[in-house]
Amino acid sequence: MKGQSAKIMKDGLWTNNPIFVQVLGICSTLAVTNSLKNTLIMALGVTFATAFGSATLSALKTWTPRKVRMIVQVLVLSFYVIIIDIALRAFQPEISKQLGPYVGLIITNCILMGRAEGYALANKVWPSFVDGVANGLGYGAVLMSIAAVREFLGFGSLFGLKVASDWFTPWTIMIMAPSAFFLVALALWGAKTYNASAEAKKKTAATSPGGPNPGAVSATK
Amino acid sequence: MKKESIGYVVVFTFVVCVVFVLPLALAEGLTKPRVEANRLYAAHVAVLKAFALADATTPRDEVERIYAQSVKEVSGEDGVWKADIGGSAAVAVRYIGPGLWGSITAIVAADVSGSRLLGLEILDQVETPGLGGRIDETAFKAQFAGLKVGAEGIRVGPAGDFRNPDKEAGRVDAVAGASRTSDFIGQIVNGAIVRIKTLGGTK
Repeated sequence: MKGQSAKIMKDGLWTNNPIFVQVLGICSTLAVTNSLKNTLIMALGVTFATAFGSATLSALKTWTPRKVRMIVQVLVLSFYVIIIDIALRAFQPEISKQLGPYVGLIITNCILMGRAEGYALANKVWPSFVDGVANGLGYGAVLMSIAAVREFLGFGSLFGLKVASDWFTPWTIMIMAPSAFFLVALALWGAKTYNASAEAKKKTAATSPGGPNPGAVSATK
Repeated sequence: MKKESIGYVVVFTFVVCVVFVLPLALAEGLTKPRVEANRLYAAHVAVLKAFALADATTPRDEVERIYAQSVKEVSGEDGVWKADIGGSAAVAVRYIGPGLWGSITAIVAADVSGSRLLGLEILDQVETPGLGGRIDETAFKAQFAGLKVGAEGIRVGPAGDFRNPDKEAGRVDAVAGASRTSDFIGQIVNGAIVRIKTLGGTK
C-alpha cells in the first residue's frame, strides 16, 4: 500500500503531471497565475475537491449506474467546491472577495472530472484519494512556479510583498493572460524534452551490450 | 432492482441529490449570519475609509465603534451616509456603475455641496487583476481625497503612477493599460457627485 501510494504521488507530481502530460486545468492556469496568493488558494481548492471528490466517487462506484455517472460526478465535485466557497465566504471574506468567481470555476476544472472518470471509477477509495492529492499538488506546483515568474516580472513582488527595487520596470504583459500561454508552453516544452531525453537514455542503456547498468549509461554519453 | 433499470436510476439519483444537497443547504444556513455580518462590516469599513475616518490597519472593534459614533445612515435613501468631519457635514453615497467585465460598486464621500471629495472606496469590482483591478489599490484611491470638483466634475487620466494628481484641477492619474476601467471610474465618481449634489445634505 505504501509503495502504491508513493507511485501514485510520483505519477501526479511528475510522470503523469496534469499540466505537463495530461494537459488538464489549463484555463485556470491562465486565469489565476498572476498572483501567488490567488494561485495558492486555487491549488489548495483543486487539491481538496479532487481528493475528496475522487474518494467519494470511488466509494459510490459500485452503486452508480453508468447512465448517470457523469451527473453524479458533477454533483459530488460541485458539493466539495461549494463547501470551499461557503467556508471562504464565512471565514476568509477578503480572500473570497479577491478570488471572486474563480472558486466556483473549480467545478469546471478538467482535472476534477478527468481524475474521477479516468482513475476513481476504476480504483479503490484510498488510492483514489491519494491520486486526487497527487494531481492537485502536481497542478499546484506547476501553477505556483508560473505564478512566481508572472508576479515577480509583472508586479516586482512575491505573495504581494515588494521584492524588486524601484529601478525595476514591471512587465505589463506578464499580468495579462498571453504571458501565461507563453510560460505554460515553455514549461510543457521543458518537461517533455527532459522526459524524452531521460526515456531515450533508458532505452539506449537497455539495448547496450551488458544491459541497463550505470556503466552502460555513462558509455552512451 | 437492476442497476441500469429506470427505477433504480431515478431512485439512486434522487438519493444522491438529497444526500449532497442537504448538507450544503445546512452549511449555507448556518454560515448565513456570519456572511451577512462580513458583508455589513465590509460596507462599514468602506464608508469609514471614504470619509477618511479609518484605514486598512484599523482593528475591527475600532471600526464598529467609530462607525456607530460618527456615521449615520440617511433614512429613506438607499446607500447614503452622513458624518461630521472636523466640524463640517459630509455625505457618502454608494454608486454602482459599469466596468469592463461587470459592475463596479463604489462609495464616494464629499462635502455636502459636492464641491470637494473626501475619498473613494471600491466595494465590489471584477476588473482584470493587475490592470483594471488596480482601481482598488490604496495609491489610486488616495488620489481622490481632497480632489476639487470642477464644473464638469472630475477627470481621470492620462495614465500615471498615482503620485501626481492635480487636485485643484480635479484630475487624477488613470491606470496604465486600463483606460476603459479608468473612464468608468470617472463616470462613477461624477455620477456619485451628481447624487450628492441632489441630496444637498439637507436631510
